[in-house]
Amino acid sequence: MRSSLARQGARIARATFGHALALAAFALLAVTPTRALAHSQPYSFIDLRLDEHKLQGKAVAHVVDIAHELGIPAPDSLLRQGILDRYGASVEALLSSRFAIRSDGVGLRTRWTGIEPLPGRRSIVARFELPWERIPGRLHLACALFRYDPQHVTYLNLYESGRLRYQGLLDATRSNVEYFSGGGQGRLALIATFVGEGIHHIFIGPDHMLFIVGLLLLGGSVTRLLKIVTAFTVAHSITLALATLGILNPSPGIVEPAIALTIAFIGVENILASRNGRDVRALIAFGFGLIHGFGFAGVLRELGLPAGARAWALFSFNGGVEVAQSVIVLSVAPLLALLKSSSDAWSRRVVAVGSCCVILAGAVWFLQRVLPAS
Amino acid sequence: MKRTFRQWVIQGAMLAAAFGAAGQPRAAGAHEFWLSPSSYRQSKGDTLEIAAFVGTGFRGEGSPYAAPRTRSFELLGAKKLDLRPATLNGELVFARFIGADAGGALVAYESGFTQLTLAASDFDRYLELEGLTQPRAARARLGAGAEDGRERYARCAKTWIGGGDGTRALRAAGLTLEVVPLDAPSVGSPLRVRVLFRGKPLAGALVRAWCAPLGRGWAPRNEAVRDSAGPRAQARSDREGIATVPISGVGEWLIGVVHMVPCREREAADWESYWASLTFAPEPLR
Repeated sequence: MRSSLARQGARIARATFGHALALAAFALLAVTPTRALAHSQPYSFIDLRLDEHKLQGKAVAHVVDIAHELGIPAPDSLLRQGILDRYGASVEALLSSRFAIRSDGVGLRTRWTGIEPLPGRRSIVARFELPWERIPGRLHLACALFRYDPQHVTYLNLYESGRLRYQGLLDATRSNVEYFSGGGQGRLALIATFVGEGIHHIFIGPDHMLFIVGLLLLGGSVTRLLKIVTAFTVAHSITLALATLGILNPSPGIVEPAIALTIAFIGVENILASRNGRDVRALIAFGFGLIHGFGFAGVLRELGLPAGARAWALFSFNGGVEVAQSVIVLSVAPLLALLKSSSDAWSRRVVAVGSCCVILAGAVWFLQRVLPAS
Repeated sequence: MKRTFRQWVIQGAMLAAAFGAAGQPRAAGAHEFWLSPSSYRQSKGDTLEIAAFVGTGFRGEGSPYAAPRTRSFELLGAKKLDLRPATLNGELVFARFIGADAGGALVAYESGFTQLTLAASDFDRYLELEGLTQPRAARARLGAGAEDGRERYARCAKTWIGGGDGTRALRAAGLTLEVVPLDAPSVGSPLRVRVLFRGKPLAGALVRAWCAPLGRGWAPRNEAVRDSAGPRAQARSDREGIATVPISGVGEWLIGVVHMVPCREREAADWESYWASLTFAPEPLR
C-alpha cells in the first residue's frame, strides 16, 4: 500500500515535472514570439517638412532600438516621460550621429525641439528644426539609424511647402537620399548633377568610350561622322527613355555582355569595311545604340531618379552623355583625319591595329560579364 | 500507464514544438504576409481600412506601407480601383475606402523585391520548412558546395471582403503568384483554390491554411490577443494548379503559398520567391 502510494506519488511528481517542463517550454515559446512580435519588424520613421523659412522634422524610433544603442536595460522605461527626459540628451546625440543633412556639401546642424514617448507604438518621437533663409536647391540626407540590425528600415517622407514630394526607404542597402527642391534653384541643381553624372559615366566607362572610338576609326567626312554619332545618340536616347520610364527593362545580365559584343563587332566591321569599302557604320551605330541605351539606363536607375523630376533627370543625364561623346569625337576625329592626310599607309595600320584592340577588349569584357566571378 | 505514455508523448511534442519554433532562423520565422481588413463584410457606405501583417502561425506585427516597394495595390469591387494614390509611405493602415455597394470586394497587393541572404544551412532549413522541394533539390545537387542563400522575395497578398456577389472572390487579380478560389468560401465545405504563377496554373505548390478566431463581428481579432497556431490544413496543387483545403470552422482564414524560382537577374540574387496569401472569413453554416 505504502509502495503503491509512493509509486503514485512518484508518478504524480513525474507528471507534474513533465507538465512544468512543458509549461516552461510553452512559456518560452510564448515569450519568444511575443518578443519577436514586440519588435520583429524593425522600423523607424522620419518626416521632413520644408518651407521657405525652416525645415521641421520628426524621427520616430522603437524603444527597443534606442535602448539597445544606449545600453538601457529596460526599453519600456523610455515610455515614461520622466525617464525619457533623463536620457533626452543621449537620444538626441544618438540620432544626430546617425542622421545628417547636407546642402551643397555643407553639413546643416539641426536643433532638437522636444522628445516624447509614443506608448501606443512602443516608440519615442524626437522633433527637430533647422532655420534657413530659403529652401536649398539640393539636400543630401544620410541616414543609418540602427546599423546593428541589418533588417532595419527607415521610412522617409519629405514634404515641401505642405506637399508630399518624396517617399523613400532607407535600409542596409541604401542610406543616402538626394533631394532636389521644387523651385528654380532645385531644378538647376538637378540639371547640373545629372549632366555631370552623364559625363562622368562616359569617361569612367571605357566600354562606351571604346565603342565611339571604334566607330570613328575608319574616319570620313564631317557629315558622315555627324550621321554616325547622331544615329548612336538617337538610338540610345530611345532605349534610355523606355527603360527609365519602366516600359522596357531587359536584365543587365543580358545588356552588359551584349554591349561588350557590340564593341567586338565594331572592330570586326572596321577591318571588313577597310577591305571592301562598305561603310554601314550609321546603321550599326543606330542598332547598337539601342543596346547601349539600356546600359545608360542601368546607371541612371542606380543613381535614383528624383520623384516628380524624372524627365528633367533623364534629359540632363542624356545631355551629359552627349557632351562627353562630343568631347571624344572632337578629340579623336581631327587626329585621325590628320593622320590620313599625312600618310595613308599609316592610317590603314592604325585602323587595323586599333580595330584588333577594340575586338580584343570587347571579347575580354564579354567573357568577364558572362563568366561568373570566382 | 497508457495515459502516462500519452502524456509524455504530448509533452514531448509540446517541447519539440516549443524548442523548434524558438530555434527557427529569423527569416524563416517571419514570413507570412497577409492583408487584414477592418471588417470581412461590407455594406454600401461602410468605411473600411486595410492593414497588413507579417508573422508566423497567422499571428504577426503590423507592416507599414512601403510606397517605393509597392508594385500594385487594387480594389476589385463593382469597379477596379488603384488604391496607391490614397496611400502614405510608413502608414500602418494601407488604405481606407468606402464600400460602393454590398457586393463584396477583393483587395490585391503586390510588392517589389526585398533582398535577403541566409547562411547555407539556414537557407536549406527554410526551404524544407516551406516545402520548397525544387530549390532544395537543386541546392542538394551542389552538395557541400552550396553557398549562402541569396534570395529576393516579393509579397502577393489578397483579401476577400464578403458581400452579396460571391463571384467577385473568384476573379484573378493578376498578381505574379496568386491563390484564386474556385468556389465562394463557406464553412464546412472544402475550398478548391487554383494557384497561378505568372497567370498559369502552378503544379506541386504547397498550399497551407491557417484559421484564427474572429474578433467582434466580422473584424479580425486584435493581434495583441491572438495566438499563433500551426496550419489547419495543407495540400499540394495538382497539374491544373488546383488544391483543396477543408474549411472546417468559422473564423478568419489565411491560405498561403510560396513559390521560388531561380532569379533572372543573377547579380541581384540566386533565387526569387513569391509569397501569396488570401484572407477571408467564410459564411457560417446555416
